Amino acid sequence: MLFYILKRLLLSIVIVMLAVTMLFCMIHLVPGDPARILLGPRATPELIASMSARMGLDSPFPVQILRFFGNLFTGDLGMDVITNRPVADIVFNQLPYTLWLIFSAITFAILIGISLGCYSALHRNTLVDRITGILSVACITAPAFVVALYSLLIFAVTLHWFPAVGAGEKGDFWDQVAHLVLPAFAIGLSWIGYLARLVRASMLEVMGENHIRTARAYGLPERIVVYRYALKLAVLPTVTVIGVGMGFLLSAALLTEIVFARPGIGKLIFDSITTRNYPVVMGSVLISTILFVVSTTLSDLINAWLDPRIRASL
Amino acid sequence: MIKNTAPVLVSDPKRRNFLKTSGALGLAAAAGGVSEIIYAQDKKILKIRTYADMRSLDPAYSQGVVDEEIQSSIYSKLIQYKPGREWGYELDAAESIEQVDDTRIKFKLKEGVMFTGGFGEMTAEDVKYSYERILDESLESTNTPDWGSLKEVTVDSKYEGTIVFSDPYPPAWNIALPYIVGNIISKKAWEEAGGKVDTTTPCASGPYMHQEWQPKQKTVLARNPDWHGGVAAFDEIHIFPIDDENTAQIAYESGDIDCTRVSLGSVGNLKASPPANSTIEEYPSLYYVWVGMNVENETMANADLRKAVQHCIDVPSILQASYFGAAEASTGIIAPGLIGHRPKGKLPPEMNIAKAQEHLAAAGLSDGVSITLDVLNKSANVTTAQVIQATCAQAGITVEVNLHESGAFWSLGDSSSGERYKDIQLILNRYSMAPDPSYATAWFITDQKGIWNWERYSDPEFDKLEAAAKSISDVAQRDEMYRKMQDMMEDSGAYRFITHEASPVIYRNSINPAFRPDGLPLLRSFSSS
Repeated sequence: MLFYILKRLLLSIVIVMLAVTMLFCMIHLVPGDPARILLGPRATPELIASMSARMGLDSPFPVQILRFFGNLFTGDLGMDVITNRPVADIVFNQLPYTLWLIFSAITFAILIGISLGCYSALHRNTLVDRITGILSVACITAPAFVVALYSLLIFAVTLHWFPAVGAGEKGDFWDQVAHLVLPAFAIGLSWIGYLARLVRASMLEVMGENHIRTARAYGLPERIVVYRYALKLAVLPTVTVIGVGMGFLLSAALLTEIVFARPGIGKLIFDSITTRNYPVVMGSVLISTILFVVSTTLSDLINAWLDPRIRASL
Repeated sequence: MIKNTAPVLVSDPKRRNFLKTSGALGLAAAAGGVSEIIYAQDKKILKIRTYADMRSLDPAYSQGVVDEEIQSSIYSKLIQYKPGREWGYELDAAESIEQVDDTRIKFKLKEGVMFTGGFGEMTAEDVKYSYERILDESLESTNTPDWGSLKEVTVDSKYEGTIVFSDPYPPAWNIALPYIVGNIISKKAWEEAGGKVDTTTPCASGPYMHQEWQPKQKTVLARNPDWHGGVAAFDEIHIFPIDDENTAQIAYESGDIDCTRVSLGSVGNLKASPPANSTIEEYPSLYYVWVGMNVENETMANADLRKAVQHCIDVPSILQASYFGAAEASTGIIAPGLIGHRPKGKLPPEMNIAKAQEHLAAAGLSDGVSITLDVLNKSANVTTAQVIQATCAQAGITVEVNLHESGAFWSLGDSSSGERYKDIQLILNRYSMAPDPSYATAWFITDQKGIWNWERYSDPEFDKLEAAAKSISDVAQRDEMYRKMQDMMEDSGAYRFITHEASPVIYRNSINPAFRPDGLPLLRSFSSS
């Protein structure tokens, strides 16, 4: 197990470095002088040259990337050339908003999706099961930004139940929760459908396994058989799916942050790319990549820990 | 396998603990957001939207109207733009101000204009420091051009001074004194801060103080109790950066904000069924939209082809399709209400296919020609491009539309970013300007070729006029010169002027808003009704 963990950690570092290098290349292939875009039309050539130097763009490409990784190992993500703030401060200021959004969305999806999936499996081929199936597929196919727009129109504009934009007053917990409901709903809805289908299928498979029959043969009450033994195994695939789905969650968060004018790492990346604010783009994408790699690694490790069959196969 | 998984039947305390701990961590994370601060709901708060987040609180590094909306609320100037439908100014920190001759402006400050933070009273020395530092090359301010030929500010007494220009510079009254570089800061405070500030400021002297900046979320201004102008109307102003106008409209309708610009496309619906207790107003904008033609491109170098394209573009159709009939056709690059605005262009807004075909024949292209149109990927631009495509086709001109994202688009004509500028044939462009004609014409001189003059238009007479018009005090003469410059642009065939767009705004009847003639909010003058 220890060897497995070490192997995964090393692989994660390689993945992060590759991803960042690829991004670095892509950024430099995109047309447009970042210094000129940043400074606007009134900038003189001298100012543009000075800004290029401050952004480190006056050096050859290999030097730039080596310098980036060199700084990275000392924990320095560089400086935002617009606001003169450390990139790390900017990214870590925005990161909690995105994490909080993703966490809420996935929690909401897990609670409802697993319940629905479990219920469907236990009432297989009934009318409720069929309706749940249709609704699940509908949820999966609904894009997050469409759900976001309609939820805004219904719950914010028409019913005035929830605020439309922003992340709530700093320090006011309930205001922050109120601002979180619609964005979390927009991201979480498709995951409800996905998890419901996944848990249903998994549950049906587990319910037919020998150890469940054994538990029943011991005379254990059906409630205990289902919730203590069957469901515990049936939810295992969701851990993997959520881990791998972190990338999708991050991209859904980006769209949602734009629609709801919410702060967050997705919107930070979008704004930084638009303005060619390279230091911030690099810093925020690096953190997002790490987030993705850590979540997939963690899900693998949790799976291995929770399921002795996986552990045994390592 | 089942035997091997026997531990599943007997719950593993470690795993159970893990699941319990996960749940507890979730709750703890939620509880972590609870804070000691409870937001006071009884404050009088103005909530308003801007299209981007704040960048700097230093006038030297201000990046246009977003920063200026904040800075003009927290700093004082000698004069401020006057709210209303016509361009003008009103006194702010100045008790009096006068153009004493072509190159000198004398001013006298009001007594008792105080800086917050214990930085004392505003003096002529602060004005001198504020203005002259913008010229300091080591500061690398992008706003230096706004001061034109400013030479120095002389301090005549504690409250009096003279702004001295090396050459006459009439735009100072329109784009310097009441705009970004006209903000007066405290010399003492700035020197203590090391000569420049970024997203915090050591002091204020306007009706509001900068209280807080939550990046990507909002900027909070709080009432300045020591403001020389009396009591500011609101306890706080919350400024929300919302880039998308439709989202801003939703935020308005849901009650999250009190005032916002809305999209042109929604004006019709909003007028037909306005939200309760709301007013919609339309202001002309200073933006100018045009189709440019690269005169150095092999195909477009043919003047007759350029003129044929001019005649093929049907401006009324574009206004209807792209701007929902909410914008007027423009006659040039200088908006109505400004010196140099042409009441009528040389070409009518409507297309004239017969004339276009005549020019095509003269160009030797009677059999048709295929050209490209580069466009920024915004919906109004895409629609405009489609209309142009359709009307040009009627004359036998095939237009291929190239869409670009903003970063790529804004470097298309930049000759220092490769050879792509040579490939531009037609380009749909949109620039903004400050309320002085010199701000509009500056980009079309020969020196701007490969920078912002993407048509690569070059005419020595135009260059001469552009240089001269900036330093002529006589308004009528200036007006004539700027009109002539636009005539020349149109005659070159390199430009087809489309529109200045419009700035529709919506606000609650519970507030008395204050806008510049182009619809930009002047927050310091907002009040509650």
